[in-house]
Amino acid sequence: MTTPALLCRQLTKTFDGTRALDGLELSVEPGTIFGLLGPNGSGKTTTIRTSLGIYKPDGGSVQLLGSSDPLAVRRQTGYLPEERGLYARMKLHEQLAFLASIRGLSTAESARRASAWLDRVGLGARAESLTRELSKGNQQKVQFAAAVIHDPELVVLDEPFSGLDPINSRLLKDLVLEQRTKGTTVILSTHRMEEVEALCESICLVYHGRAILSGRLRDIKAKYGRNTIAVEHGGGPGMLNQIRGVQACDDGGREVRLRLEPDSDPRTVMRAVLDRVDVSSMRLDEPRIEDIYLETVSAAEPRP
Amino acid sequence: MSASLVFKIARREYLARVKSRAFVLMTVFVPAFLGMYLLAVPLLGRPSRTDLRLAVVDGGTGLGAAVGERLRAIEHPRITIAETSSIEAVDAASRARFNASIRDRTLDGYLLLEPADATPARVRYFAREGGNPALLRELRLAVQSAAIGRLLAGTGVDSGAVRQAQQLDLGVVAVSDRGERAGGFGIALASTMSLAMLLYIAVLINGQGMATAIVEEKSSRLIEVILGAVTASEFMAGKIIGVVGSGLTQLAIWMLVAIVALVQAAPALAMSTAVSGFDLSSVLNARLLFYFGVFFSLGYVLYSVLFAVVAVTCTSTEELGQSMMAAILPMVVALMVAISVISNPATTATRVLSLIPLLTPLVMMARVNILMPPLWEVWLGIALLAAASAASAWVAAKIFRYALLMTGKRPTLPELIRVVKA
Repeated sequence: MTTPALLCRQLTKTFDGTRALDGLELSVEPGTIFGLLGPNGSGKTTTIRTSLGIYKPDGGSVQLLGSSDPLAVRRQTGYLPEERGLYARMKLHEQLAFLASIRGLSTAESARRASAWLDRVGLGARAESLTRELSKGNQQKVQFAAAVIHDPELVVLDEPFSGLDPINSRLLKDLVLEQRTKGTTVILSTHRMEEVEALCESICLVYHGRAILSGRLRDIKAKYGRNTIAVEHGGGPGMLNQIRGVQACDDGGREVRLRLEPDSDPRTVMRAVLDRVDVSSMRLDEPRIEDIYLETVSAAEPRP
Repeated sequence: MSASLVFKIARREYLARVKSRAFVLMTVFVPAFLGMYLLAVPLLGRPSRTDLRLAVVDGGTGLGAAVGERLRAIEHPRITIAETSSIEAVDAASRARFNASIRDRTLDGYLLLEPADATPARVRYFAREGGNPALLRELRLAVQSAAIGRLLAGTGVDSGAVRQAQQLDLGVVAVSDRGERAGGFGIALASTMSLAMLLYIAVLINGQGMATAIVEEKSSRLIEVILGAVTASEFMAGKIIGVVGSGLTQLAIWMLVAIVALVQAAPALAMSTAVSGFDLSSVLNARLLFYFGVFFSLGYVLYSVLFAVVAVTCTSTEELGQSMMAAILPMVVALMVAISVISNPATTATRVLSLIPLLTPLVMMARVNILMPPLWEVWLGIALLAAASAASAWVAAKIFRYALLMTGKRPTLPELIRVVKA
């Protein structure tokens, strides 16, 4: 068993009487892409800040890259915060080089890598532009570069894809995968489930400051089994959620996903579906991470 | 604390300050402005007109002719007496003619002499421009001289000698352990004000620039990235060092400009000093410049820390604008105290005030400038100032760690006190 890249044990943190973290447990395998999920205000950002040593926890412990003092390994970590910001009146190259240098690179090496990264994200020609002259998407690419410019062993990306167009989104996705290929541990905090689906090997779902679901995505899905029927149909009179054996029905517009009750027979339900609507395709499927997310969170919702 | 990280933060802050438009503008304008001020003050003190056409109106004192004669003798400004006339009553009706002459500009003004009980005469000067102190002094001397001349008539005392005795000037020479120094209130005021202004402007521009940068870093969350790389103390130390560096750069440029100006513009200065009787060397000497350097640097650090603390508790530039007064106020108070020190440099109150660190830079500087206090007092002031700067930096570091990541809500004073105690 390798040492986790990040290990949080029983983390607690309180702000003004509000528990942001309430005994959070987290373990991230090195060299993987790890998804940190959870509704707004569930404690994701606090988890990240505490893990990186920006906050001191009230209780519990953090082991980051094998060190109990996150600041001691700060040259091996990178961070792209959710709310983006750069020095508005600083030139791109100067800015990247500065952010690289405070991670411990020499001045010459910082300058060299700043140039290389600007080329890499397609902004080589704008090295002398002021940051405020850049579009939001371009600023975001610069910030991603700033997070990984010093080749960290672990990088935390908080909502890296928000607000990006498909081209830049693809570029950034490739850059994230490239980090993983190099052996970097990537912690990805996001609300976009299709990205988690596409990128993450393991996840942790944080809710009210606790980890309510965590593990390898594959294992989590296997636990649920093939309990979902995905239907594309051309309409019809039927109310699919009234079929016996269907626990929940999620109408996604083009595709309707029916989650089966634990002991119901998928074939019986499928026949019932065929009776009710004009099916164009139908398959027995694993639950998507989105389904698992919604179900887990609603099950954890404190009942009034 | 890593020195190289502090240096990197400091270098960025320094370059951001020095390259800013405010820095460049003020670095150029302040010496230009001060130079103009020094040249203009003596010129402003002179009467605006070199030739005046006056009338002497005697309401029954009998001094009219003698006053007119003495006015004619004044060299600067040259006065022409248009007429010397006597009137019966000094009411508005009898003055109407003279006022009309002033209005149609055939007269610049007239001197009205009236009999009075205790003094030889009551004198009023009616004119379009009545404010110049140099002219008023000449007018008063002329009337006094005429009155004394009449008193002495027939006593054998030479009224010319009496008049010369009246024109005595009182020179002020400050005596200290180091010798004598000419000059009094005026020079002390001017030089103290100039030094205060340099400190004030440098702190204001650079401190405010840093404060804005800190708020920008906070509100853009860039601070999260930076604090993932450096500690709050390193961050703050770098900021302060960068800002002190830019302040000292500015001071060095100003000093250089001053030296070049003194060498290059010596003739112009000689002219203006000759006019005002103002000896520049009494203002600029090595001892004064040394103490100025010490007080400027330490005061600058203390005030910069103050700016940094104010900035770190703000979450937006709007809030910063409102809170900036808290950082500026001590300097304003110090300046006011420094001005009062000039007239009372050795009172107990002054001595105590000059040892309060927030006031020391300007007040002790004023004392050194006016009446050199005992050395131990000066150095006690410097030591207290240095200790206060270090202590406030320590307090600031604690507040920084706490307040840097706060957004949306400002920390309250009790919260900050708790943080500092922890």
